[in-house]
Amino acid sequence: MTAAASPRAVGTPAVPGTLAVPAARDASGRAWPVFAHASEAEMARILDFYAVRWEYEPKTFPILWNLEGAVVESFSPDFYLPELDLYLEMTTLKQRLVRKKNRKLRRLRELYPAIRIKLFYARDFRAMMLKYGRLALADSLSGTLGQISPDRSPKALGGVLAEVLVAPDTLPSLSGQRRRRVRRATSPHPDMLAAAHGARTGGGRHRFDPAGGPAVNEEERGDR
Amino acid sequence: MTTPHDLMADIGDILLDERQIQARIVELGAQISADYAGRRLTLVSVLKGSLPFMADLMRAISLPVRIDLMEVSSYGGATTESSGLVRILKDLSTTIEGEEVLICEDIIDTGLTLNYLVRYLGGKKPASLRICTLLDKPARRLVEIPVDYTGFTIPDQFVVGYGLDYNELYRNLRFVGVLRPEVYTTPE
Repeated sequence: MTAAASPRAVGTPAVPGTLAVPAARDASGRAWPVFAHASEAEMARILDFYAVRWEYEPKTFPILWNLEGAVVESFSPDFYLPELDLYLEMTTLKQRLVRKKNRKLRRLRELYPAIRIKLFYARDFRAMMLKYGRLALADSLSGTLGQISPDRSPKALGGVLAEVLVAPDTLPSLSGQRRRRVRRATSPHPDMLAAAHGARTGGGRHRFDPAGGPAVNEEERGDR
Repeated sequence: MTTPHDLMADIGDILLDERQIQARIVELGAQISADYAGRRLTLVSVLKGSLPFMADLMRAISLPVRIDLMEVSSYGGATTESSGLVRILKDLSTTIEGEEVLICEDIIDTGLTLNYLVRYLGGKKPASLRICTLLDKPARRLVEIPVDYTGFTIPDQFVVGYGLDYNELYRNLRFVGVLRPEVYTTPE
């Protein structure tokens, strides 16, 4: 999405325990994406404010394959800033809890060294909010407090699973013996990387297994 | 009523004292004077935080110097909700087309404001456009912008003083200090 104007905050009704994020359109009528976390929506507003173009989760990068070559773990950076050629991944977890995210990021950098990506930690977001006089907002959005669930549930996304990154029949069940066979791919097949670069999914749609099994990328949101 | 004593009590550590700041500004002034020798320089200060810095820097430069001031709205400020876009609250009062322009910043952290300013001022076709900042906090950088002159690279702490504020206070301190976290975490 090209962000030229900030959307009006006409948020969807909040579900108890969640925060509403604007499911609105900006001044030019473009649809405002459904963000997974309220901090992402706030970041989008900030980028809009400073006229920095952004795209929300435009690409998914496989980072782990099983022995059959199927993707079992992938990473979808939250934002891509095309003018800066920079991916931005946000986490509002406390610093001691971001180990998993850091590991995925290291893996991404190993496999895709040309990718420029910055992990925006909770402390970065908090410092930014402090600078903008919105510290209370940052505190209210930390961790699970800022998660947005209504529009990103598997049920809500059930109709768009055709865009799943990996064909459903190639997804491993990852149970028992098969899980143990999963290994880190030190040098993925070139076709896999090409597919990854070409993959364009939106709104985290790839994350849910249509068969109701384990999500391809379930930990990515689970650790927020 | 807040008194100077109260402001001092809010400072945890003094990161840069007055002597250090002034000594570094003299060095910056000498370097800038050498780099722009034989040319006329226009210093652009971004209000409000960089005002003390530019006031001292311009006096450390031994060249013909023009000054101008700009102010842009900040995210989260009173004007944010009205448009959702950064606004030029005070534009340049003189043309910079064909001029050697040096932006004077108090601090660069995310680089978002500066990125906007560089694009805006670049559109006015100056002969050159460079950046001088008193403080650089690279740990916070979101937008990478080449900085030509840096006074000090500082750690990732919330600092005030020498133009830098919190809730519009502390700008008049002669040093740069770290604000005690309880100042901004305690409900008013």
